[in-house]
Amino acid sequence: MKVLFHGRLAEAIGPELEVESAIGCSVAQMRDSLVAQHPHVGEVLRSKRALTCVGDALVHDNYRLAAGDTLEFLPPVSGG
Amino acid sequence: MSVVARLEEGALCPDRELAALLAQAKGDGAIVSFTGIARPGSKSGEAIYHLVLEHHPALTLQSLEEIAVEAAARFHVSHVHVVHRCGDIAAGEPIVFAGAASMHRRAAFEAADYLMDRLKTEAVFWKREVGEAGSQWIEPTDADYADRERWG
Repeated sequence: MKVLFHGRLAEAIGPELEVESAIGCSVAQMRDSLVAQHPHVGEVLRSKRALTCVGDALVHDNYRLAAGDTLEFLPPVSGG
Repeated sequence: MSVVARLEEGALCPDRELAALLAQAKGDGAIVSFTGIARPGSKSGEAIYHLVLEHHPALTLQSLEEIAVEAAARFHVSHVHVVHRCGDIAAGEPIVFAGAASMHRRAAFEAADYLMDRLKTEAVFWKREVGEAGSQWIEPTDADYADRERWG
């Protein structure tokens, strides 16, 4: 499964990762796994202001990933 | 009623945006507009050469549209006009234009204030300052989030 990152997460991890055996996992489980692999951005991944989306729609921690999904991690946003 | 929400990859000209809003607002009594500009210095005083505003291919424009539409629904305004730049923005260049037109001034002032509080904290951009101190990611401050919370 493809996982995309934006902003400071893309800088730290890379813009894209291919993750095996992700189907059926929840977003929360994916985050825990990413935090374990990339502890230097654990705080950003776990930020209450960070967002996750699949197919351009926001998803919550309990969303179960399905075949064909692309999960995206969005660090806190800032315009203006 | 009209709502404009645009993501601008090139230059942003506040004069042109204000003229477009003025042309729309023929029956109104007030226009309030705000232009945000890339600052030439950081909070700690170092020079900033440019800002980089990264955006999402779908969610960024969607966020601009949602904020503009909700401002139009919430206040007694006739027109809402939001243009936000993305990409590299040199210090001194405009980043964002947020304007509203209404019959009476209060609604236009409030709508412009609301637009900016939401854009600062909810528009889907990731902002980086590049300057003499290197490159630094910029996120909303606690004051920005508190300003956003005023609107419920």
